[in-house]
Amino acid sequence: MWRLLALLVGGVAILAAAMLISSVSPVEAVKTLILGSLGSRGAIAGTLRETTPLLIAGVAVYLALRAGLFNIGVEGQLLVGAAAATAVALKTSGSAGFMLAAAAGVGAGALWALPAGWIRAYRSGHEVITTIMLNNVAVYFTGWLLANPMKDPQQQSPTTVSIDASTRLPNLYSHPPLIINVAIVVGVTAATLLAIWLKRTIAGFELEAVGANPRAAQFAGIDPKRTMLLAMTSSGAIAGLAGAVQVLAYEGRFYAGFSPGYGFDSLGVALLAGNNALGVLPASLLFGILAKGGTALQIEGVPKGITTVILGFLILLAAAIRYRKVNAVA
Amino acid sequence: MPLLSVLVLTLALGAPLILASMGGYTSERSGVINIGLEGMMMIAACMTAVVGIPLGPVAGLAAALVSATLLSSLHWLVTQKYSVDHVISGMGINAVAAGAASFVFGKFADPKHEGGVPHLSVWIYYVLAIVAPLALWLYTQRARGGLRMVAVGADPEKSRLMGLSPGRIRFVALFATGLFTGLAGALLVSDAAIYTNNITAGRGYIALAALVVGGWRPLPTLMVCLGLGFLGSLQLRFQGTDVLAVIPSQAWASLPYLVTIIALAGFLGKNRTPAGLGKP
Repeated sequence: MWRLLALLVGGVAILAAAMLISSVSPVEAVKTLILGSLGSRGAIAGTLRETTPLLIAGVAVYLALRAGLFNIGVEGQLLVGAAAATAVALKTSGSAGFMLAAAAGVGAGALWALPAGWIRAYRSGHEVITTIMLNNVAVYFTGWLLANPMKDPQQQSPTTVSIDASTRLPNLYSHPPLIINVAIVVGVTAATLLAIWLKRTIAGFELEAVGANPRAAQFAGIDPKRTMLLAMTSSGAIAGLAGAVQVLAYEGRFYAGFSPGYGFDSLGVALLAGNNALGVLPASLLFGILAKGGTALQIEGVPKGITTVILGFLILLAAAIRYRKVNAVA
Repeated sequence: MPLLSVLVLTLALGAPLILASMGGYTSERSGVINIGLEGMMMIAACMTAVVGIPLGPVAGLAAALVSATLLSSLHWLVTQKYSVDHVISGMGINAVAAGAASFVFGKFADPKHEGGVPHLSVWIYYVLAIVAPLALWLYTQRARGGLRMVAVGADPEKSRLMGLSPGRIRFVALFATGLFTGLAGALLVSDAAIYTNNITAGRGYIALAALVVGGWRPLPTLMVCLGLGFLGSLQLRFQGTDVLAVIPSQAWASLPYLVTIIALAGFLGKNRTPAGLGKP
């Protein structure tokens, strides 16, 4: 307990020092952060928009985490999912169009996660390293797609053409400046379904059993390898969905630099979520507030990097509280 | 002399990878998973420029070494004393480093400054990059400290029974990680004589990849890094000519990552992951 307190005090002290260096009073900074993310209808709309991809991608990371796997590959799976969804959405239109596009995103994300799951389950290669590598490959692969077959010839920068308005996800509530897209409902539904699935179905129970102790699960008649492979590919599928939804609801196109680090932030979301999938909801909202509020801080002259530092310390702190490794024999 | 220039370029591109991967080597051989190499390099590169410009090259290098060592000590503290999972801690370290580097750069960047970052000769770093793997190989083969480090990484529980203190040995190992990644970050800035945002560009992860493909052994890892440097130098040399036009540059760039995945799948010899990696 004292150690945790020390860590917390140390983190807060460093942040306060950073703010003093940049000649902004910490109180003022917190005020800017909160007003900039929740202070007006426009700010709330922006925060919800920032929250959506983190929520869906957070569900993806959480699912893998319950099976004892770190899916650091969400970034890459989200990118290929977004690219695939854009490719399909450009060829189709209407509600059938966005269903097909979402399906393409899900499929691409799952395929991108498959090698990592397989290597972890059947060749015992660490999923963290394979997923980091796959992330980099995804950046180059989608970069190539954007430079060649998917590039909008009218544009200088690497981007696709915008998708047809009819293929976009509709708004749930649209009274500017407060616009809420149906995408947030997709995210809330995903988190709710995962929570029910983990707690109320046999497959969900098996997945958590493998996450808790693969060997014990095996003695109980569960195939841990198959479960790990399934968990990783499902996680990739949800990450692909996050990318697809981001295209269909907000961006309307795929371009270089599409993800400002959703994959990493969603790992933080899942770690903060705790022991219930529904915990992803408040965790992603917190990250959304930090992302939106960080932009407001930037305008005040505090470089945005400060919010990344806050996230980093939050992750370390949450992990120190929740993910302590009891000296178990692994 | 195209051959000589390719060799120098190989060394120039390989040396930061070698230094960073040796940092990964001491950490992972002692049993601490370290995906924070990228962050440590980044903060070191940033400090080299921010401190080096007003105070000179030696102060810049010192700041790089101190900042990277502080971060790697934080990794030690969080993983060993707070028993946090090593991967989570590494992610946190990378976030703190990336945020801090962009914060410091955004605050202290001097757009009027001309003449680049003052730096020591890059050949100092190149020589260190070639000597370090040899020295580490000898150290882990012959010296008591090195043998203990490898023992702790292979089986912390048995080492504890033998009277070793994994916590203390890992602190020394991670201290070395800080020094190596600090050198790697300082080298990046020295080579370019300028600091730009995200100057590391994923080299910390490539260094980790080289370590994996090299089977967590210093000399093969050195070879892998030089091989990557050679590939990179060929790419630079033949850029824009017909020789490489058939293969997109993105495919070249993806090659090290793909090879690492294949190596982890066990298709390039046996899996040599240290047995105690990530264990308390």
